[in-house]
Amino acid sequence: MAVTAAAYVDGAPRTAPAPYYLVASAFAAVSVVVGVIWDISWHRSIGRDTFWTPAHMAIYLGGVVAGASCGWLVLRTTFSPAAGQATPGVSFWGFRGPFGAWVCIWGALAMITSAPLDNWWHTAYGLDVQVLSPPHTVLALGIFGIQFGALLLALAEQNRASAPDRARAYGVLVACLAGVVIQNASILGLEQIGFANAARMSLYYKVGAAVFTTALVAAGRAAQIRWAATTAAAAYMAISLIMIWVLQLFPATPKLAPVFNPISHMVAPPFPLLLVIPAVVIDVLLRRAGSVGDWRLAVLTGLGFLAAFVVTQWFFADFLLSPHARNFFFGVDQWDYSSRVGAWRYKFWRIDADPATPRGFAWAALIAVLSARVGLWCGTWMARIKR
Amino acid sequence: MTRRGRRLFLVVAVALVSSAHVGSPDTYFEGTAGPYPVRVIVRSPGVVPGLAQITVRLLGSHAARRVLVLPVFWDPKTAAPPPPDVADPVPGDPAVFSASLWLMREGAYSVQVTVEGARGSGSTLVPVTAVATQRLDLRAPLGILLAGLGVLLFAGAVTLVWAAARESVLDPGATPTRRDVRRARFATAGGTLLLALALLGGWAWWNAVDAAHRTGLFRPLHATTTMRTAGENQGLWLAIDDPAWLDPRRQRAPLIPDHGHLMHLFLVRDSGLAAFAHLHPVPRSTAMFVTTPPPLPPGRYRVYADIVQESGFTQTLVSTTEITTTRTPWRAADVDDSWVVEQGTGDERRGTSADVSPLGDGSTMTWRRRAGPIVVDHDARLTFAVAAPNGTPAILEPYMGMAGHLVLTRDDGAVFVHLHPAGTISLAAQEAFELRQPGDTVPGTLAKRLEEREQQRNGPHSAHHAPMAPGGSVSFPYSFPRAGSYRIWVQVKREGRVLTGVFDVSVQDAER
Repeated sequence: MAVTAAAYVDGAPRTAPAPYYLVASAFAAVSVVVGVIWDISWHRSIGRDTFWTPAHMAIYLGGVVAGASCGWLVLRTTFSPAAGQATPGVSFWGFRGPFGAWVCIWGALAMITSAPLDNWWHTAYGLDVQVLSPPHTVLALGIFGIQFGALLLALAEQNRASAPDRARAYGVLVACLAGVVIQNASILGLEQIGFANAARMSLYYKVGAAVFTTALVAAGRAAQIRWAATTAAAAYMAISLIMIWVLQLFPATPKLAPVFNPISHMVAPPFPLLLVIPAVVIDVLLRRAGSVGDWRLAVLTGLGFLAAFVVTQWFFADFLLSPHARNFFFGVDQWDYSSRVGAWRYKFWRIDADPATPRGFAWAALIAVLSARVGLWCGTWMARIKR
Repeated sequence: MTRRGRRLFLVVAVALVSSAHVGSPDTYFEGTAGPYPVRVIVRSPGVVPGLAQITVRLLGSHAARRVLVLPVFWDPKTAAPPPPDVADPVPGDPAVFSASLWLMREGAYSVQVTVEGARGSGSTLVPVTAVATQRLDLRAPLGILLAGLGVLLFAGAVTLVWAAARESVLDPGATPTRRDVRRARFATAGGTLLLALALLGGWAWWNAVDAAHRTGLFRPLHATTTMRTAGENQGLWLAIDDPAWLDPRRQRAPLIPDHGHLMHLFLVRDSGLAAFAHLHPVPRSTAMFVTTPPPLPPGRYRVYADIVQESGFTQTLVSTTEITTTRTPWRAADVDDSWVVEQGTGDERRGTSADVSPLGDGSTMTWRRRAGPIVVDHDARLTFAVAAPNGTPAILEPYMGMAGHLVLTRDDGAVFVHLHPAGTISLAAQEAFELRQPGDTVPGTLAKRLEEREQQRNGPHSAHHAPMAPGGSVSFPYSFPRAGSYRIWVQVKREGRVLTGVFDVSVQDAER
């Protein structure tokens, strides 16, 4: 993700390139999330994989680029006085470097740690017996570290920028990287909120309230642009849409038995949540009611998010399950090779076991308010980061 | 615990983590893929899902252009199998091809091996049982590496909390105030506590996965063997008293006959391995089997019972029993029953390496050993030649359809295998895979068809007539899975009589 920031010197516009480590870490964050979405599609379409699949390479590339660029930055800021002055940092075991760089390095180290652990895990307990396993959790933490580290680097640049345009340019980057983090969170919640078929379950709205309110509210408060939460939500949706439209162009053949659904192309990820709509509500509330105090603001933004989210997804899920959505653009009605396709594809799931009831919505509202409060607290800190 | 007690405990304990056969999870097959004679070895991954390694060696003179392998897990509702994998030629030996097999579910697989060459294309099915049999220890070097990285990550995370609270929001060039430091200490203490709790949670999670894996390791059906010497029901009774077998709510595949018998039961005297019997109990119900034991010396015996289910799943039931007195004169419950008792004590014989074993009719069996020691996981082709009393090569007859049967066990019972010239596979399982059809969704449908096929044959024991090798010899493909002292019983048939040769062998670790 190439980024330039516009600065004005003596009334004349001048384009100042973004620091290399910021470009590298932003690229790494995107590379990793693209790799993860690609890898999930690979497992749903082809089934078997090796260390060397292109999806894995995209994930590792992100780890290597983030780790190497931030490692170099730390060495420069520690041992070169000029670099240390230009890029303020925090102390860490005798070294100095931007806080975001340390988070990226920690993420890269976690990814490295997960590799031998995951390899041993497969040999000891079987190949991917569970998607959510201890080594995969270490990997997920590493991935999150790289994405969050990139976001922190962008925040520090934004918060130090003296020129408004430059701060705004970094603000766009901050919001986009927040969108990457939101995308990552939505991948972790794929089973609960990924498919429109789950949109009549109480859990769908509880998870949505827990995950997205924090991220959108934090982005809305931290990024110095007018529609920060909306931009973050748009970035999240853009990543999903591009992956949907690109992946299903590539032929794929299942290579693991049993094959119940003989697909011919890569299975696209589910259509993203229409988060831009509740994000607009958050942006408006943050702007109009920003001075009421954080607890009151948390109630307003939490309930505002949930109301918009419920109305949007409730009806949009109906559309996604209808024949009108079964096309290239929406990419729905694409299922794993191992799925026994049937009428369940167009029905709402588990509406008997966990129906969306007033009680369920009340819990979701409470979660949304608390989540918004955490988001405000995080956003306040993120808006102050300078190193 | 006495020495004998320890040994018996080991027999049963080892059986808990073994599949078909005991302590020997790899599959060895020798046969033909159309016009191509092949030897196939499938190395079990020990976990499921897992990657097994398959090696296909062409034994004939015809080269192959391509070798394809495809593991198929039978499911009548399966739309289509995935495409087969092309096995890679092994560098340095044009007759050997290898590939990885993805075994994703526990149960019986048939591995389709297809050879393409100048003589066209030919295929064969190799039954493979996919079960989790092992728990891998975390070895010291990897453990130390992971622990080191874990400490680094933990310390790094704590330092991140410290740095975030102390300095991250300060203006460039500003130094942290006392308040900043105090806040950082407070945050670091809380963060450390949370991280420690997360670490403990992760540790508990790992332990839970490990415990679930141990619980899920394959165990053969539980069986109990009892000797009844009084009353109407005299005999040796084997009861499959496992809830998984007895529960009427669970749909289970019925047993199918292998070499004409639903069960092949082996008795091995625990003391010195000096007595051996190969019997064929008859079913009195779906869970009760009975036979008349031959006049074996009284004592404690290890019991191994091979069974095959309609699904192609094979397993060896393991038990022990006390043989007291047996009815005399003994009348075999089945014409294929056989037994042998060595003269003297087994311990006297152990430690010798006699390559010639006298047989019951005056003939002799000679083990044609290869030069050099027998090493774990190395090809230990077991070839035996039978000579008539006058020294000429004996003319052998099929014994239960096979040129010979070989049974081997390690002295502590950790390994027990029943081999044929076709290898470790069950020919009944192979036939089941060949005959099954998409409509076989009801248990018993395929078994009925197998039974009808059996009845159409000329006699019950011509089921799998293997070609008899000339010169009175019989050969078995195998590699020993573990080092130790083994006893081998080789059974052939000559002039209508089953003859059993007995041999001992010491197997060395590969490192030696």
